[in-house]
Amino acid sequence: MGGDHRAFLDATLPHLDLVYQVARHVAGDGLEPEDLVQETYLRAYAGFGSFRGGNARAWLAAICLNVARSEARRRRRRPSEVPARALLDVLPLAGERNGEAAPDVADVVIAGLDAREVSRCLALLPEPQRVCVVLVDVAGYSAREAAEALGCPRGTVLARVHRGRRRLAGLLAESGVSHGRP
Amino acid sequence: MDGHDRQLAVFLAGELDPAAARQWDAHLLECDQCWQAVREDRAGRGAARLLRQPAPPGLADRIGLAVEVAAATRLRDRRVARPPRHARASARSRWRGRAGAGALAAGAAVALGVFLLPAGRPAVPAAVTAVARYAHAVPMPSGEQSLHHGEPTVPVEVGRPRMVTAGGQRIVIRTWRLGGVEAVVAVSGRPFPMPPGAARAAGGGMAWSARLGGLSLYCRNGRTSELVAAPVPAAELAALAARLPIA
Repeated sequence: MGGDHRAFLDATLPHLDLVYQVARHVAGDGLEPEDLVQETYLRAYAGFGSFRGGNARAWLAAICLNVARSEARRRRRRPSEVPARALLDVLPLAGERNGEAAPDVADVVIAGLDAREVSRCLALLPEPQRVCVVLVDVAGYSAREAAEALGCPRGTVLARVHRGRRRLAGLLAESGVSHGRP
Repeated sequence: MDGHDRQLAVFLAGELDPAAARQWDAHLLECDQCWQAVREDRAGRGAARLLRQPAPPGLADRIGLAVEVAAATRLRDRRVARPPRHARASARSRWRGRAGAGALAAGAAVALGVFLLPAGRPAVPAAVTAVARYAHAVPMPSGEQSLHHGEPTVPVEVGRPRMVTAGGQRIVIRTWRLGGVEAVVAVSGRPFPMPPGAARAAGGGMAWSARLGGLSLYCRNGRTSELVAAPVPAAELAALAARLPIA
């Protein structure tokens, strides 16, 4: 028994940063990410006996998402969806029109926005897209791992990530305009 | 999303075979709509990566402690579920399938269910949950204890202090043995929130007392907030707390 929890921690604590990345963006209002991480680890420990040495990263992500969803259902709170505007409708890329080298769109967006604004816009994405963007882009999971955690095909993950990124970019562009930034 | 977009998503993930990827490269030179989609994808990906942030210092320790406590709780419940040998002989059949399941359920309730309760029931605050979990498991009580007034009245510290963060609250936890009772004393710079069912109590600041999973809790608030947890009757806890070296 004594070695049981140590074996569990040895197998899972190296992935703490990843789980924390996920928790920060799936914990609903009123639920601290640290609490969500702790509950994830406690549930994972309770189920460690049935874990057969697969991908621990994906396993932990799946548990974290399940705990967050359960808690969100309990609180009956859903994120609202905001329609996105096309990025290039908002960002003037004069250089491109003159045939010169255009600034990278990502650089333009990122230069004008801080992480808090990105986090706010990310929270506005529909949940399937938000979760995929969080897993792949924020936490650094591969599409295959994200698919395993979510129990869906890898192609679905790639499509949701793509849609989520585009929508996020649109929301950020809107946000930049509304704040008087280019 | 149509098949074209799906293939674009696969291309952006770098998962197309080289020949198909070259076709996409050529296509993007001609198709403004797809090129715009690529740029939006890059912008969104770059922005999302801004959010990467390492876990806060101390979280690994907190997780380690929580798992350690859950493991100790599970072990303790297994021991509690095991009656003395002479009793086991006569009641073995009754225990089979009931005691084990009950103990596991109790352990699971303590370890897992305290802060995520079913819909409609208010949750016990995370900071109080952490202290209760610790008190449940470390030390291992043998049922509800009671103050033995004939025993030495000088509190003796058991083990070493532990620091844990729960609900955004930093808590130092110490365990004391006094008069045959082992009590956990948690001290925090922020007041411990009152759990559901708690009652106002006499003492410093907004003192409160509560019962939680076989434990009596008593919290008093002054310059710091001190939460005492022990497996004693509620009526005895305030007197016990007064004899402990808290704050």
